[in-house]
Amino acid sequence: MDDARITALALRARDGDRGAAGEFVAATQHQVWRLLVHLADPSVAEELTQETYERALGSLRRYRGDAPARSWLLSVARRVAADHLRRRSRRPVSPAPLAEDDRPVGGAPRGDLAESVAVRHAVDALDPDRREAFVLTQVIGLSYEEAAAVCRCPIGTIRSRVARARADLVDALADRPAERPHRSG
Amino acid sequence: MRVAGNHGAGRDDQHGVDCDGCREAMSAALDGEADAAEQARIDAHLGGCAACRSWQRDAALVTRHVRTAAVGAGPDLVDRVVDAAPAASVRWRGVSARAGLAAVGLAQAVLGLVSLLGAATHAHAMTDPFMVLGAGMAHATHETAAWNLALGVAFLGGALFTRHLAGLLPVLGAFIAVLAVLSGLDLVAGRVEPGRVVSHLVLVAGFLLGLAVVRSGPRPGTGPSPGARWWRPGGRSVVADDGPTRPAPTPWERESDVA
Ligand SMILES: [Zn+2]
Repeated sequence: MDDARITALALRARDGDRGAAGEFVAATQHQVWRLLVHLADPSVAEELTQETYERALGSLRRYRGDAPARSWLLSVARRVAADHLRRRSRRPVSPAPLAEDDRPVGGAPRGDLAESVAVRHAVDALDPDRREAFVLTQVIGLSYEEAAAVCRCPIGTIRSRVARARADLVDALADRPAERPHRSG
Repeated sequence: MRVAGNHGAGRDDQHGVDCDGCREAMSAALDGEADAAEQARIDAHLGGCAACRSWQRDAALVTRHVRTAAVGAGPDLVDRVVDAAPAASVRWRGVSARAGLAAVGLAQAVLGLVSLLGAATHAHAMTDPFMVLGAGMAHATHETAAWNLALGVAFLGGALFTRHLAGLLPVLGAFIAVLAVLSGLDLVAGRVEPGRVVSHLVLVAGFLLGLAVVRSGPRPGTGPSPGARWWRPGGRSVVADDGPTRPAPTPWERESDVA
């Protein structure tokens, strides 16, 4: 669903249309949840997603429609994650047990399972600012401008953080000769 | 920790600074955020730098892994959170408050006009026996009429352009509070007819309706909104990240300043 449609739903929800509010949540909840999986951790992502919507819908009356509703919602999710981390200092990331659906989907490169897990752990191990910029642009699919609006920072900061996150990932995966992303050299 | 000989970003080799800038540009290009000039510079650098060519392949592969990684479906929270959304009565309340405010504004404007006409016709007959602070009765009446008319216009304007309403309310509140005290004193002392005091209730109604409109939330398209600026963050590009500071601006950085 595109940004204009999501924003229109948010404006209708603001004016008391519960059906639109439901559609708004349905259209965005997967992205919010994915962002929170990466910004916080999988075990609390559901709880934090719920908190994000409670905050966002509760303050929807103040939403003016200036920024796309998706960016506005993601910036709420980002604050929820930050508050959560402040409440509870983050435990070291332990490799989560691999679920059935953790396998790469059809369009994925023909890498093996271990490789994709290694990439995921490398993303989790990134510096928080870099991880945030990287996840917003690569996983959520925001443009640099949209990510900058969510993080309230200049576009150039997003650009350099994404680049550094990429460099970190390439380095991290190159450090594991058995699982180098680029085997042929 | 980097494996020796593995396409290092080599700040020590002759391409060091260029390599860092080129990799930032390649990263942007992978996201479709590099322009043609930048792309040309990337190509020029890649022509002579095997390490960056290798980095580009690895970065693209890592990116593809991340973007296509399958994840669980995530929870469905619609039923759990939808009650936090504004209730259906919100819209109706906002609309009716605006309509009420417009009606009150019209009534107040009429009152102002009537008193203005009244003041104008009486002014000829009056000889101003009482001068208070440099104004005779006639002029004081003119001032009052002007204020009443202005308040009517303000209510009407507030009903049309709700965004400006909030700024009006403190002024109105103070005006009404002072007027209430003075009206009470004047009533007791017999200096004013009750009918005149009752007409002040229109102001109270306008104030309360204005409050209701403001509380029912902003409406789109009724003037520029404060807080809109954050959506257009400044274009400054290379801002202190936590990474290593770079020795001097390279062509890459200047290019990205524009981006
Ligand atoms: Zn190079």
